Amino acid sequence: MTPIFLYLVLALVAASALTLLALRRRHAPIGIEQARALMDSLDMEAFRNLVDPQEEAFLQSSLPARQFRIIQRERNWTALCYVKSLGHVALEFSHFGHAVRQSTDPRLAELGRQIEAGAIQLRLLALQAGARLFVAATFPHLAQRCPRSLFDQYERSTRLVIRCGILERSQKQAA
Amino acid sequence: MTLWYKYLLLYLWIAPHVLLLGLAIFLLNRRLFKQFPAFVLYTWYEIAEFVVLFAIAISGLGRGPWYLRLYLVTLAISTALRFGVIQEIFNHVFREQGPVAALARVALRWTTIFLLAVGVLCALFASGHSTASLIAGASWLGRGIAIVQCGLLLFLFLFSRLFGVSLQSYVFGIALGFGILSSVELANWALHASDLSESMARTLNLLPTAGYHVAVLLWLGYLLVPVITRPRQLATADGLNLSPHIDLWNQELERFLQ
Repeated sequence: MTPIFLYLVLALVAASALTLLALRRRHAPIGIEQARALMDSLDMEAFRNLVDPQEEAFLQSSLPARQFRIIQRERNWTALCYVKSLGHVALEFSHFGHAVRQSTDPRLAELGRQIEAGAIQLRLLALQAGARLFVAATFPHLAQRCPRSLFDQYERSTRLVIRCGILERSQKQAA
Repeated sequence: MTLWYKYLLLYLWIAPHVLLLGLAIFLLNRRLFKQFPAFVLYTWYEIAEFVVLFAIAISGLGRGPWYLRLYLVTLAISTALRFGVIQEIFNHVFREQGPVAALARVALRWTTIFLLAVGVLCALFASGHSTASLIAGASWLGRGIAIVQCGLLLFLFLFSRLFGVSLQSYVFGIALGFGILSSVELANWALHASDLSESMARTLNLLPTAGYHVAVLLWLGYLLVPVITRPRQLATADGLNLSPHIDLWNQELERFLQ
């Protein structure tokens, strides 16, 4: 009976997982205001400082090795928190972009497509940066790379969201 | 065979296919065959298969071993088409996603290899008691296929969720329907491998058709009801109540973008 039990458990787990995914799917995407609030909530300047190689070099030259490792570990864990938040923002932007894509206005729909594609790219970069920061936090003596492409992509994504807001507002005013 | 069982069996056999016919016509009307040719082909194939098998069954010819062979052949074609539909869903979901699409292709390949290995290992080490009959062989194969299909669909959902790739309502519905169908088939084929009493075997006959019914209802539901939630009114009246800071920021950016 054991092998059959194993298959039944597998089937039950799969069916439950699928049902759960279906039930959790129905959530409304954020609106433009929430998207802006999310952008405001992230202190990107502070994040940049945390992963700045020059800052790291300065700390390394001014602190004793042991203290540097402690501080560097803390910096990397904090940066990891920022990356997690950025990943969350990317997910929200992606859902927002997907919703805007459904717009009947072709300009808005195209903008929505760009926002969605950019957000998915941002999410990918955030996951990569997260993995690197995790390694760097575990082994603080290893030199880390600044996730420049992550910052660039975030800039692009926020610009697109802002443009979307502007377009929406101008349409509203024209109407 | 009690009367209620007979009616229930007939209902579960006929009703999903009648609904599927409605779905197939809807897909044609909406011209979704351009986006999902494999799924449209699958629905029409399932209807044709039902008509043939049902006609044979009610004419009383469906008692010989050739009927079982015919059933297994049609099931094999149906299973192959399901793989086609799963591939089609993947292509559709990740077609515009650039680097994520490339990553998805690689991940899909490795996931398929992993699932095949799991299917083979399960077949080797957890085969259960079975006779060397045709149905036992089909059950052995069916379990492996159900594991692979179910795993692929779960992978699709989890991967798209991880990267925030939104699935359109009907794409989600199609994938969910196939996922439920695969998990029910896994349970069904697993139970087929055991020694069952006659009453238990009869009850078990209802399981795949009931699972199929649920899948068809899911396909219909997600195609007919627009589940995609629209954004909360972009720049509505609420949007005018911006905080001075954001408003000023926007004005500056507006000037910058012009």
